[in-house]
Amino acid sequence: MDWAKSLIQKVEDTRENRLKVPAPELSDEETQALLEKYHPDYTGQARALCVGPNADEESFPCELADMLESASMLPPDFKPEPEIETDVLILGGGGSAASAVLALEGSGLKVHLATKLRLGDSNTVMAEGGIQSALGENDSPRRHFADSFVGGHGENDAGLLKILCESGPKEIRRLSQLGCLFDRTEDGAYRLRLGGGASVPRVLACRDYTGLEIMRVLRDAVRLSSANILEESPAIELLDDGEGQVSGAVLWDRKNNKFICVSARAVLLATGGAGQLRLKGFGTSNHIGATADGLTLAYRQGCRLVHANSFQFHPSGACYPPALEGQLVTEAIRSLGAQALNCEGKHFVSEMAFRDVLSSAIIREVSEGRGVKTPSGSAGVWLDTPLIDIRHGRGALRKQFPGLFHRWEPMGIDPSKIPILIYPTLHYQNGGIRINEHCQTDAPGLWASGEATGGVHGTNRLMGNSLLDVMAFGRRAGEHIRENMSARKAITANNAERFRSILLDKRPDALKGPLLFPREMNLKIRIGEN
Amino acid sequence: MEITVSGIPLEVDSGVTLVHALWSAGRADEIQTGCDGGVCGACTVSIQLKEEPNKTIIDLACCRIVEEGMNVFPYPVAANMPVAPSSDPTAETLRKAYPTLDRCTKCDACTTVCPMGIPVMESIKRMQAGAFDQVVEDYTTCIHCGQCRGICEDRVQPHSMGMWLRRSIAMKNSIETSSNYDGALADLEWDYLLSGDNKETRLERCRQFRKTGKAES
Repeated sequence: MDWAKSLIQKVEDTRENRLKVPAPELSDEETQALLEKYHPDYTGQARALCVGPNADEESFPCELADMLESASMLPPDFKPEPEIETDVLILGGGGSAASAVLALEGSGLKVHLATKLRLGDSNTVMAEGGIQSALGENDSPRRHFADSFVGGHGENDAGLLKILCESGPKEIRRLSQLGCLFDRTEDGAYRLRLGGGASVPRVLACRDYTGLEIMRVLRDAVRLSSANILEESPAIELLDDGEGQVSGAVLWDRKNNKFICVSARAVLLATGGAGQLRLKGFGTSNHIGATADGLTLAYRQGCRLVHANSFQFHPSGACYPPALEGQLVTEAIRSLGAQALNCEGKHFVSEMAFRDVLSSAIIREVSEGRGVKTPSGSAGVWLDTPLIDIRHGRGALRKQFPGLFHRWEPMGIDPSKIPILIYPTLHYQNGGIRINEHCQTDAPGLWASGEATGGVHGTNRLMGNSLLDVMAFGRRAGEHIRENMSARKAITANNAERFRSILLDKRPDALKGPLLFPREMNLKIRIGEN
Repeated sequence: MEITVSGIPLEVDSGVTLVHALWSAGRADEIQTGCDGGVCGACTVSIQLKEEPNKTIIDLACCRIVEEGMNVFPYPVAANMPVAPSSDPTAETLRKAYPTLDRCTKCDACTTVCPMGIPVMESIKRMQAGAFDQVVEDYTTCIHCGQCRGICEDRVQPHSMGMWLRRSIAMKNSIETSSNYDGALADLEWDYLLSGDNKETRLERCRQFRKTGKAES
């Protein structure tokens, strides 16, 4: 970091003063103006769709629109023959899929979980900062609701959000009984951190490995359950009974490069988000599997999407060195007092503002020339990480955030000694498939949960609400499926075929989808070819 | 610069990770990849550096920066079946769950292959001695890549035992959680928050509620 010596000096010189002066706060009007001018939801290229339930209504980022308007990879005359007959087919291998598996355990139903990579490979495992649950003094699920509703700009589905907030304490108990260790205070109570935009401390964590802790426990429990696990087997199409009810899926067995048709009495889509579409050229903190597959498939079945054009750009993505670009630097570091600064060492906004606001402010600083330009060509702002040891004692940063050191130290950077450079990174799909309070989609026979769904977070999610979301709604989906199984139906590719024929009529150059793997990987996907 | 992956030369840019170097070259399928962020353990590789060609290093390809003359091979370990945790974790129940615990010959290979820097063999000794609090701490950063188990000649399963202990101890120490003042007051508060006529009213009520955690009387 020799190139930045004089700039780092400015950060050090301004430190003492910054500790005394509070960060500037924005009025509601200033906030709205900032968002509209700089937030990528407002500024990026977008287009309307020509087909499906959301056609002609709103605009979607082009990269996502291309997938929603993609054509099935199945051969034209494909006649599905069931190779696997199951009761419940769960698509996805992250927290929500696992939560649903555990909710179905003991039901006597045959459960198959099919996932693109390995069980646990998901955005869940990458979550760092924590999980929200109203457990503190002066807190309640109502206050959790109020914080999340304001954070989501009032666009949240109030019914879903109420369920989310009321689930908090219950899900923490469940996770703890499953074997998750959350950080405690000296007197044995759960340690609660303040999340951005929350009015009281409400975030439970396991250092900066909260998602890893939750996912490895869930994975362990799922392996010990009676569910059948199909890894390396992404769904490439949903099947229906010929009358509109979802009745199975076509999986791509990657190892043997062949299709597997599954007949199921209920299908749960828990395939996660879309960060790897890398909208508008942003880096992403997401897992390589986050390619909007679930949205793509559900849309063909007539499922309406809500706020699917709203994305969360996490304010603190790494922006230097290039090897770490886009990777997450947890919000918890800011919540413990690391400030965001421009190249002059100025504290330009409170780092505990809502995520979309802070991201917009960082983009403003950089685009108006007050960012730090790096030798790799990227630009960002400082996150003054040495403040953690100054505020909380020597070694505090390392103790609380081992994951940060694991990634930064091999690059020759010690974040407890020098500040690190951050820039917003594509982090979360705020919206997604519309669901009701039982996780049912618009397509009968198809449930959805987790990041693939939309509504609960409105158009901006609070820190710690996604881990709670995957747990709470994965369980709800599982519980509702248990009680609402339909009889086994035929499997056809009618819905997908119909969608493809309307689509190709209007857009003959449509791509094939789902994407399955990020374009950056340069993988040649040859499904079914030898 | 040039490195070698699976015996085949690869021209790479400096400063990139092994995973991204393979992506750029259209060879992404050569190394199993998951999170590309250092937490899923999918992309373990064996590496020999030009300076020390006889010493093998195990690391995560998504975290390792390329170096001239590096020789890299994929080195994944398949997942194993865990043993169900116990709400009564003792040295005895641990040995019953994982009878190979005492076969450890203290060769320390497990420690040298851990890409997360966990003191694996020391932790095995702690397990044998029943010092579970420290074991729980040791495995905080374990990504279950399986390397410590894969290399063990004596079929000791360090990361699985770490998981078993962490889960078991969490289950034993789990505390009751419930939300504050549910009941009639909660119903009133929900009513206040949810019954606004339009979005603006509801937003205004939520803004007010955030300040105090109570409904305006």
